[in-house]
Amino acid sequence: MRKGVQSFSWKGIAVFSILIILLPFIFSSSFYITKATFAGIYTIVAVGLGLLMGFAGQISLGQAAFYGIGAYSTAILTTTYGLNPWMTLVISLAAPALLAYLLGHTMARLHGYYLAMATLAFGIVIHVLLTEWKSVTKGASGFFGIPKIELFGFTFRQGLSYYYLVWACALIVILISLNIIHSRIGRALRSIHDSEVASSAMGVDTGKYKMQVFIISSMFAGLAGWLFAHMSYSISPGSFGLNGSILFLTMVVLGGATSIWGAVCGALLISAISIVVHTAGSHVSFITSDFEQVLYGFIMMLIVIFLPQGLVPAFSSKLKKITQSSVRTNKIPTIGTVKGDQNV
Amino acid sequence: MNDSIQFLISGLTIGSIYAIVALGFVTIYSVTKVINLAQGEFVMLGGMTFFSLLKLGIPYFIAFLLTIVIVMAIGWLFEWAVIRKAKGADPLSLIILTIGTAIFIRGIAGVIWGKNSVKVEPFTNNEPLNVLGASITPQSVWVMVFMLLVVMVLYFLIEKTMLGKAFRACSVNPAAARLMAISPRKMSSLSFALSAGLGAIAGLVIAPIMFPSYDMGIMLGIKGFSASILGGLGSAPGAVIGGLLLGVIESLGAGYISSGIKDAISFGVVLMILLIRPFGLLGEKNVGKGGL
Repeated sequence: MRKGVQSFSWKGIAVFSILIILLPFIFSSSFYITKATFAGIYTIVAVGLGLLMGFAGQISLGQAAFYGIGAYSTAILTTTYGLNPWMTLVISLAAPALLAYLLGHTMARLHGYYLAMATLAFGIVIHVLLTEWKSVTKGASGFFGIPKIELFGFTFRQGLSYYYLVWACALIVILISLNIIHSRIGRALRSIHDSEVASSAMGVDTGKYKMQVFIISSMFAGLAGWLFAHMSYSISPGSFGLNGSILFLTMVVLGGATSIWGAVCGALLISAISIVVHTAGSHVSFITSDFEQVLYGFIMMLIVIFLPQGLVPAFSSKLKKITQSSVRTNKIPTIGTVKGDQNV
Repeated sequence: MNDSIQFLISGLTIGSIYAIVALGFVTIYSVTKVINLAQGEFVMLGGMTFFSLLKLGIPYFIAFLLTIVIVMAIGWLFEWAVIRKAKGADPLSLIILTIGTAIFIRGIAGVIWGKNSVKVEPFTNNEPLNVLGASITPQSVWVMVFMLLVVMVLYFLIEKTMLGKAFRACSVNPAAARLMAISPRKMSSLSFALSAGLGAIAGLVIAPIMFPSYDMGIMLGIKGFSASILGGLGSAPGAVIGGLLLGVIESLGAGYISSGIKDAISFGVVLMILLIRPFGLLGEKNVGKGGL
């Protein structure tokens, strides 16, 4: 249990922004910049999934589907119909939101494992549709020739400019999420997380808030999909399957679902691991992309067993114990421990 | 007409496998309230271990039994090394834990057996039989026979033996069971071993039809999970009905609409059924929230 609601702090955001701005000057090779751009895209999805898991207590095993819908919406509309990427951004946000709204009605009646099953089934259905609806999605080989984003005559190509665009979006998403958890919705969600029955008895419309968070998290995934589509020249269904969903899940679990910064750290760490594995793989033949999967599986096991709350909440509570002071670690807005009998 | 019988038979064949996998889910869930999403990996391990043992020149029947024993040992080890360490974790974490384990096992299997699918000889000769104008391979018959056998043995085990009583006691009230000198820990280990054994049997009987490969587990696991959800989590008859239903829907969908979207059809049906009955076909209302 926590005392009171922590106030919103700009300090964390400021420090983080400076790090983001400085990073390309330290690691200036295009490989690192590309990876860091991906890390930004993953951060957007992970923060949304973290909101859903850590704050609304809902699991989603199909988050990559929303990511895919965002990416495909813009890819189809810009290449086949020649729309401007800025116009399709609206669709990339609205389409996942609409689907989340419809699916949310199903999910409102489901609990626990049944909910996990529903999101899993949804993710698989979308993945199959992306692969098989060939007249619209071009099938397994996917789309190519997706135009770049332009702004006032400036084209965001892959590289430094796109890195800053993605991270600007990621910072906005982080800000929105921090605002959400420090607002009325956040308080309501925390109470739902602790006891759904008690909070609905207190007049909290649990269904409404859960639905809102689900829609927000799907929109974040859609935004990430939009950014991803315009970053790469081509997209194919492979990036939006079950493995993608599990990757996002790993990020949130690793960093800690009960903290926005946890999801950010998770996304960054997983990206860092993939860089390390990639670099090591060029020297050792035995280390391949499959090795990466094994590693992710292993990380998930270790984290659940030894740090069930994830890295950031665990370390922040350790830090608090060490300092033994009333100095509030505003940087890390954690909520109650992930224990007890809440709904998944 | 011939077509529909053909589709029905292939649906029942694959549905029998889903049913056995789903029974594995039910076995673990009813004792420990854990959903083991690594269940499909046991099926994969069954098929691949069988292949390796046969390749070593071990006689067919002995390899068959040995495979079951080996996979059961892996299931037991999994419970001991992983699940038990996470005691007290909430269901959300447990789902993630078993997903992590599934990825881990699959990766290790990829290292051991490589990427290619393997071929296992069928149990008996492979002359297709003609039934009502449709042809069935003898292996399909074996699959269904084994499903029935598994159901009967499991029923006998759970309903008629002391072990089954102990299982049920742990399911109802672990604390009271401990007072009756039943160790919930031991029962938890046993349920994992038993369900690994069920997975291994599914892997063994399907191996000659499916050409097992290191990554076959994930889809089978998910299908088995949806079969048990479809039937109502925790209900053994539900698991069998859910499995067969899922197999038949999938096969009809593949036959009459398109084989590419068969998964979308079967999971779409699962979503729809959950919309109408949020606790599965045979599930009780409180089962859906069981332990959560």
